[in-house]
Amino acid sequence: MNQLNNPTAQAVDNVLIYIFGFSLLLLLGITVVTIYFVVKYRRSKCPEPTSQVEGSWLLETIWTVLPIIIVMTMFWYGWSNYVGLREIPADAMEVKATARMWSWQFEYPDGRKETKLYVPVNKPVKVLLYSTDVLHSFFVPAFRIKRDTVPNMESYVWFQAPETGSYDIFCAEYCGVGHADMTTSVEVLSEEDYAQWASSATVSADPRGLIVLNEQGCIGCHSLDGTENIGPSLFELAGNPREIEKDGKTIEIIIDEAYLQRAIRDPDAEITKGFDPMMPAYDEEAINNEDLQAVVDYLLGKVAEEEPDGDRLMVENGCIGCHSLDGSESIAPTFKGIGQREVTIERDGQSVTIKVDAEYLRRALLDPNAEIVKGFAPMMPAADYLSAEEIDAIIKRLLQE
Amino acid sequence: MTNEPLKYTGFYSESPRPGILGWLLSTDHKRIGIMYLVCIVTMFLVAMCLGLALRLELIAPGPTIMGPQTYNATFTVHGIIMIFLFIIPSIPAAFGNLVLPIQIGARDVSFPKLNLLSWYCYIIGGILAVISIFAGGGAPDTGWTFYVPFSTQTTTNVNLAVTGALMLGFSSMLTGINFVTTIHRLRAEGMGWGRLPMFVWTLYSTAWIQILATPMLGITLILIVLERVFGAGLFDAARGGDPILYQHLFWIYSHPAVYIMILPGMGVISEIIPTFSRKPLFGYWAMAFSSLAIAFAGSLVWAHHMYASGMSDFAILVFSFLTFIVAIPSAIKVFNWVSTLYKGSIQLAPPMLHALAFIFNFAIGGLGGLALGAAASDIHLHDTTFVVGHFHYTMFGGTGFAFFAALHYWLPKFTGRMYNHKIAVISWGLVFVGFNVTYMAMQAVGVQGMPRRYYDYLPEFMPLNVVSTVGSWVLAIGLVMMFVNLWNGIRRGHPVGKNPWGSATLEWTIPSPPPMENFGEEDPIVTKGPYDYKGVVADEY
Repeated sequence: MNQLNNPTAQAVDNVLIYIFGFSLLLLLGITVVTIYFVVKYRRSKCPEPTSQVEGSWLLETIWTVLPIIIVMTMFWYGWSNYVGLREIPADAMEVKATARMWSWQFEYPDGRKETKLYVPVNKPVKVLLYSTDVLHSFFVPAFRIKRDTVPNMESYVWFQAPETGSYDIFCAEYCGVGHADMTTSVEVLSEEDYAQWASSATVSADPRGLIVLNEQGCIGCHSLDGTENIGPSLFELAGNPREIEKDGKTIEIIIDEAYLQRAIRDPDAEITKGFDPMMPAYDEEAINNEDLQAVVDYLLGKVAEEEPDGDRLMVENGCIGCHSLDGSESIAPTFKGIGQREVTIERDGQSVTIKVDAEYLRRALLDPNAEIVKGFAPMMPAADYLSAEEIDAIIKRLLQE
Repeated sequence: MTNEPLKYTGFYSESPRPGILGWLLSTDHKRIGIMYLVCIVTMFLVAMCLGLALRLELIAPGPTIMGPQTYNATFTVHGIIMIFLFIIPSIPAAFGNLVLPIQIGARDVSFPKLNLLSWYCYIIGGILAVISIFAGGGAPDTGWTFYVPFSTQTTTNVNLAVTGALMLGFSSMLTGINFVTTIHRLRAEGMGWGRLPMFVWTLYSTAWIQILATPMLGITLILIVLERVFGAGLFDAARGGDPILYQHLFWIYSHPAVYIMILPGMGVISEIIPTFSRKPLFGYWAMAFSSLAIAFAGSLVWAHHMYASGMSDFAILVFSFLTFIVAIPSAIKVFNWVSTLYKGSIQLAPPMLHALAFIFNFAIGGLGGLALGAAASDIHLHDTTFVVGHFHYTMFGGTGFAFFAALHYWLPKFTGRMYNHKIAVISWGLVFVGFNVTYMAMQAVGVQGMPRRYYDYLPEFMPLNVVSTVGSWVLAIGLVMMFVNLWNGIRRGHPVGKNPWGSATLEWTIPSPPPMENFGEEDPIVTKGPYDYKGVVADEY
């Protein structure tokens, strides 16, 4: 309720004020007339009724037609403002929101995933709504928007925040034991803050080689995905043959580290067949040797894929919504100390006590309901949508507990 | 007050079988009505305690007296008991059975054995619901709406609770069939459609909804069990089903069901206001047809529970329009009740106070419904505590108060004893004030944006939650006082004559409590309308 000058809140509030206002008047009228009649015609003063009127078709008509007119204005006002909640401004940015028991995940077009919804001020935002398990509902009271997230169905809401700040997001559709804790926030940032937030995403996520390629504008002429452009694509270079023109002769070479270094430091010496010699040379001042190595490594696919961050994965995928990290009681076993623990599980109807190890954790992630820790309900969704590396990272992180 | 021991006269003493079997095997509509009444009041008191516990939990953020799972189970059981075991059968099954046949001059309902069977369905349903709370697996935690896919996944006793609700549905249908037939076939000579008491008209409208809509509930609940036990996939989008389809099926019954709950209450109010104004009900035919109109139009508005569900915008347009249409007959009723007071001779006896409180509460509930029926404003209010408050304003402030009014109005007839009026008025005041504080605060915190079914909430919602919880204590004190007073009245109250209030309908022309056969040797012949008070004198008590 802390900010009402945004477009969706205004659309809703105008209708609310109109209907509540009329309702209050009607309630007041009915109550005053009732009390007036009760006092005026009380039995101590009127021992017998002074009228035996049985009705009036004129009055019935009046109080049928008048309310119809009044409620029809309410209906139409409510509908026309509702349309405003569904029509999204053309320049809206899109964010994907996925609800699951019992947390939210927001995914940006560049693949970045967050547990809070970061948006720039004054920019219409379209939130695409998904659910991975049961019904939830995306509700931001400050923007007066609400929409259920339904499994296997896409839905949306939109809003535009004219002021920076933090606004609560609730789950409004009952979804089980963690329903009341399924809260997060919209973080509305100023344009500068948002730009910084957005670029910090790039810095942290991308390997150095790719950053250099971006910074130096290489991508402007050389595509990364194999599309034809002014220069040859940088897609899948390592070990592939290439015809080049060197000293007026066409020869075939195999792309390797040395070739790529020459191609950056002295591009015109060897020209890939079919292209023009127009690429500027990048000397050590433009790209130092270290960065050159990073670029070459990146282009040859040698960059060790950065190991996924287990902590981050557990937050992003909502694990800690049910499994606490601090040992507190919850609806699922706590993660605290899980690496050193013996657990009693129910498997095929029998109780077995085992030591927690990597293999057990892998089974628990991929087929959680085959073995249930005693005292808990089989309700965890399988994490089989994660990559093998991500599963490994989570297991590694858990075993450190 | 008198210390005379309670004498069992009338239908209490005349029975073909002695003792407890004379009740459990009785096909007499009054005995069945009393059995319903005892069960229904018991269920109300149980669910009331659960509701008080919910309010206590919400007095502060964080777990106060219970954790989330207990809270979820508690509101689910509170809802199931209040809806299926209290409100739906409250007035039709208890007072409908007691009063309806006498009001139309009949000696019983058309199918007395079916009537007893419907009571047994109610009892079996109630027992199953109670077992589902305590059996292994844990009390159901789905909310009384059983929304899929959650209800198909949770490991709690949903199957049992659903089966219980199914049995209660059968009970409701059988009662509906019985009432429609009785009203058509068993009216006394001279009891034309224009002389039916308004209570009978509303029971008639209700019975049609019970017959036509309740089978939808049965189908829906069976589909949940199929889904849970056999994995039918009907509501699973990954296998070609649709979770939103479930919501349509559920509300196709459950929205008309709220009119099953409120219409008989409106009938009670339409009896009490003319009696205590000594004046004919204003606009008899408008009242009769508005009851039928509510029953008809109310069957077409179910999807207004689903504006935020992902349903198409066109559907929202249509259902929002229809929802506003159903507001009209309810408004007509309110205007006619108030007009009945005009130039009357108004006596503020306990039943009348409850009836006037009904009009006020129901007006707030109905007007709040307008904000929920309009598409834009519903988007904000949907699934907040505003909806919970609104629902309680119509169902508790409306039907609940009508039930209390009916208790104060008809209990003297069926027990032959009068309760203490002074305590009845004080308890009414406490219930009225406590009720409004509890649920107005709940509505207000919903407008602030607090979602419903939250055991924990943000600190900014605390002040209004504290107000609401304190209100619930006042309400509870009032209710306890009211029930104790009624109980004392039954046991030790002054004996009353045939007609303590000066009413003009047929049940007040026979002894209190009525004899087994209702009327004497000869069937009654009706010569005047239900609200013709000329020459009717109230008996002293």
